[in-house]
Amino acid sequence: MSKQSKMGVLGLLLVLPSFLVLFVIVILPVALSFKESLTNDSGGYDLSNYIYLFTDKLMRSNIIFTLTVTIISVGLVLAVSYALAVYMRFNDSAIVRWIQKMYMIPIFIPGVIATYGLIRMLGNRGWAAQFLYQFGVESMPRFIFDMKGIIIANLWFNIPFTTMLLASALTAVPNSIIESAKDVGAGMWRIFFNLILPLTYKTLLVAATFAFMGIIGSFTAPFLLGPNAPQMLGVSMQQIFGVFQDRQLASALAFFTFFLCSIMGYFYIREMTKEERGKAT
Amino acid sequence: MDIQLSIQNLTKRYKTGDGVTDISLDVRKGELITLLGPSGCGKTTVLRSIGGFLEPDSGEILIENKSVLKTPPEKRPTAMVFQSYNLWPHMTVYDNLAFGLKIRKMKKAEMDFAITEVLKLIRMSGSEKKHPGELSGGQQQRIAVARALLLKPAVLLLDEPFSALDAKLRHEMREELREIQSKTGLTMVFVTHDQEEALSISDRIVVMNHGHIEQIASPQEIYDEPKSLFAAQFIGKMNFLKGVVSADQVIIQNLAFPNPKRLTGEVSIAIRPENVILQDGEETGLSGSVKQIMILGHYAEVSVDVQPFGIIRSFQPRDQVKHLHSGQKVKVNFSKALAFPAV
Repeated sequence: MSKQSKMGVLGLLLVLPSFLVLFVIVILPVALSFKESLTNDSGGYDLSNYIYLFTDKLMRSNIIFTLTVTIISVGLVLAVSYALAVYMRFNDSAIVRWIQKMYMIPIFIPGVIATYGLIRMLGNRGWAAQFLYQFGVESMPRFIFDMKGIIIANLWFNIPFTTMLLASALTAVPNSIIESAKDVGAGMWRIFFNLILPLTYKTLLVAATFAFMGIIGSFTAPFLLGPNAPQMLGVSMQQIFGVFQDRQLASALAFFTFFLCSIMGYFYIREMTKEERGKAT
Repeated sequence: MDIQLSIQNLTKRYKTGDGVTDISLDVRKGELITLLGPSGCGKTTVLRSIGGFLEPDSGEILIENKSVLKTPPEKRPTAMVFQSYNLWPHMTVYDNLAFGLKIRKMKKAEMDFAITEVLKLIRMSGSEKKHPGELSGGQQQRIAVARALLLKPAVLLLDEPFSALDAKLRHEMREELREIQSKTGLTMVFVTHDQEEALSISDRIVVMNHGHIEQIASPQEIYDEPKSLFAAQFIGKMNFLKGVVSADQVIIQNLAFPNPKRLTGEVSIAIRPENVILQDGEETGLSGSVKQIMILGHYAEVSVDVQPFGIIRSFQPRDQVKHLHSGQKVKVNFSKALAFPAV
């Protein structure tokens, strides 16, 4: 064997373990689920499960509900995190140091506990309601078992990590180029829109992708404090699989969720490679 | 004479105790003035105060007779060229140059014309579409200079702009800057710690040390008549000898020099290497022996061991060192000597 082909075999051997893991835990299940999802009641193969997914009233409202919750949550998470990160980057005060110490805390609290905490706080007789009652507020808007509750939980779960990502991107924007922009006469807003936003745009996209993937597939919070109908896809999937025992339909729903994530993945990869090509030329 | 920039009693102290105290300086229109000093002497503090990036504790800064102290950097009629270029990496050269002009609401056609002109001036025509990452350090710094020039500032501030460039490029950039200055007639304040750079480009040099001004004068005057021991040490090469004043003459062993400053007692005497005269053993002078001869192009540096003073360096024309060899006994005399109070 020549040296070159030896190196080639070595290369393949090195890639093999990770490829096998990927194959066994991602590619194979996806393929099997896809096959399962195409199976109809009589054992043949057709698109009946997918047709049901998009024609059944409840399933359709589940899909729309999930997308609505996801898009609103991602938007809010990015807005809050970006504002927080920008504030921490360009200010130095006791408040900033305080936020810097505190904002990671939610990451260290288990999801179930945090969700029950939210129920205790925002529930019908929760302590937020009791607190407001002291000030004469008798009716609180409905948070728990409602879309608002899921969105609030999503903010709690996603803001810390997103803020961390964006904060590190903003730290990488040197003060010196902001100074030079001030020097040529740029005001605060112009500096933000012409320098800071374009220079952190890529990380913003990464953060959006992470938040989107996490929220669209979330289960704990929607299961514990979401409404009974419509449901988020994760909860719905569990019900179809565990309660109705309709494995084919559950597979179809799972495959559809996977498909939604891959659309996001496609845009993410496209943007990243575009940047790489721009640098190479 | 028009005073373009006037700094009056500027004081800025940092928590660490560093900073500048009581700096006063007038810069004439069209003048290139250099703030020169070792790192930490406060020269950048003065420059950044002019640019508006630092708020002085007290004092006044006037540009064209108007106080700018209350004006934020984006509104000041100054433009700064930074040490690290500070171009915006995600914008093309054109966008980098146009950014400030767009803020000033210049028309597109005018803007294109101005950018073409300035690129011609810095000899970088045709680079409009490149990104800063595709340019060399020298080119980036030229673009940074162009960006500042386009704004037609009342005062152009340059913060060690060439210190990140290699020696050859630095020389070229100095010449170019001088040329640009003579073409545009801009008033410039240049900060550097490189005394050679300061001597070569300035109309006047402000020598700074420990947050105060040691001397303000033309390069010629600073070189020939340094006012303080620090200025003498910092600018050009210098030999230092201990001497004493007696009968109103500065005495070094058997040599006597005039005492125009009316010093008394012990003094430090500074002698430029080119003012050192080497003679044969019979003449009057300090006796020493040649230690080393180094040929440095058109001249030679001869170091002479003179006891008890130590090594004295001298610059000699190359053809006059031919008969010298190391270990040879010589007499050292000085054509000029400056005396300072001993420290």
